[in-house]
Amino acid sequence: MKDAIVLDGLTKDYGSLTAVDHVSLNIEEGEVFGFLGPNGAGKTTTIRMLVGLTTPSEGSATVAGYDIGDDIVEVKRRVGVVPEASNLYDELSVWDNLLFSSRLYHVPKDERAARIGDLLEIFKLEDRRNTKFGRLSKGLKRRVVIAAALVHQPRIIFMDEPTSGLDVLSALSLRRLIRELRLEDTTVFLTTHYIEEADQLSDRVAIIVEGRIVIVDTPENIKLSIRGAPILEARLSQAPDQLMIRELELGGRVEFNENRIRIEIENLTGTLESLIMLASQRGIQVTDLHTLQPSLEDAFVELTGVSTEVMRVEKENRGR
Amino acid sequence: MRLDRLTRELKVVWAIAVKDMKIYYLRTPSLMFGILFPFSMFLSFVIGRSMIISRAIPVLVAQTVFFASSTIGPVSIPLERRMQTFDRFLSAPVSLLTVLVGKTIAGFLYGIGISLIPVAIGIVFFSSQVTHLVALAIGIALSAFGFAAMGIMFASLPGQGPGEVMMPLNFVRIPLLFVSGVYVPVKDLPSWGQIASAASPLTHTIELIRLGMGGENFFEPALNVIILTFYAMAFLLAGMRFHIMNKKRE
Repeated sequence: MKDAIVLDGLTKDYGSLTAVDHVSLNIEEGEVFGFLGPNGAGKTTTIRMLVGLTTPSEGSATVAGYDIGDDIVEVKRRVGVVPEASNLYDELSVWDNLLFSSRLYHVPKDERAARIGDLLEIFKLEDRRNTKFGRLSKGLKRRVVIAAALVHQPRIIFMDEPTSGLDVLSALSLRRLIRELRLEDTTVFLTTHYIEEADQLSDRVAIIVEGRIVIVDTPENIKLSIRGAPILEARLSQAPDQLMIRELELGGRVEFNENRIRIEIENLTGTLESLIMLASQRGIQVTDLHTLQPSLEDAFVELTGVSTEVMRVEKENRGR
Repeated sequence: MRLDRLTRELKVVWAIAVKDMKIYYLRTPSLMFGILFPFSMFLSFVIGRSMIISRAIPVLVAQTVFFASSTIGPVSIPLERRMQTFDRFLSAPVSLLTVLVGKTIAGFLYGIGISLIPVAIGIVFFSSQVTHLVALAIGIALSAFGFAAMGIMFASLPGQGPGEVMMPLNFVRIPLLFVSGVYVPVKDLPSWGQIASAASPLTHTIELIRLGMGGENFFEPALNVIILTFYAMAFLLAGMRFHIMNKKRE
């Protein structure tokens, strides 16, 4: 499979701050590639370099076979960009915004109306075609921005936090769309701080921390690489006392939240026996019991030291 | 191949200009700085003075094209930078020159349109005459393009936030009125004033418009055209340079 995007030591410095630090990646054609990282890790800066919005300090990259330094216009012709901000013109209607995008990307005049019509249908925007962009809800705005990025039928699309700030239904709808793009062999380079989203959508994920790539692999392999041991999760009829927790910790690491308990299993039989015995001694019933593999979120927290809740709150505060 | 590419870029120039016309022409800053400003300054100049209005009409035309053309860029670019819509141009397969020419055209057409109003007023109400149509047309068109490019240049200065562009622009525009033969004819200025006047693009605007409407000139029309053309190119290139500097900083 050919590479759609290749980064080779790509670096961006802002004075003494290195926002992107010698990042090297290969992304195959048709791949959905998730780019995960805490706020300020360098995800957006990386995209901005790849689409020509900012100039790298060092290193190189090719997109669709064209160098971002020497042939950036050819790169721009072949990619679509969905930025984090819904940056279309509030004063223009949905139709006029898409028409303007089609003109910017040299879509032939006789194809524009048909393509825009198709996009309105795909994104369920037909009844909003004459609505001013500024009057749309956040979710609808995102749909229009994605439609604008697809009007010239690019083979590669860069999406910077596409579902950020959206309600659940809109986010689900957009994720469905990303899956459909994958089925059409469109390469999707996606940054997100929703770990679950990266896990569900991405063929491979790169985690970037302070400008440096920490790991690049499939979500499954990343989960397995963090902890080999599975986890036993149990729900109890009441919260365990401290003594019970200490006893259980002899068998492995324990996390608990009220009446839910997680134990890192080293010996499944031994851990189960301990749990049931300690619970029954205290008159506590085990109401639910199952084993878990480490999640991508667990892997992310372990690799970056940042909890996803902290990341979400920081993002929301930045958006205010 | 090259002709195809040029045609494509020109189509994008027009698309950008039309988009800017739809969005920015009726915005309050455009109306205030582009129309109200020059008309108010003109009225403050003529009211209470014994002056033949038809002789002052070329001044009003020149002031109008000066302010109107140079206002659209400083309204559109900072706003687009703040809303991040300017990034759309930078990530599209069009050259920076195409983007800036498109925005200049929007200012150019605004300047031409608004400046025809005092020409019409002069002809209809004050018996002004167009004695040299070519000089008037070239004067208005070349000036509209040059001053629109000037507005784009100021709007492209590195580090300019929204609301910060009009101040430096007016810091330049208003003093130019005093060395350009607007309030004091060039022939009545001291020698250093005449030198400064020759360097001011607005001087050459007024000269061509006066020539077009039956007035006197101090400089040769050929010099007027050369100076205005030079400034138009210089402002456009400076605007491009500032954008490239911005891109390196971002």
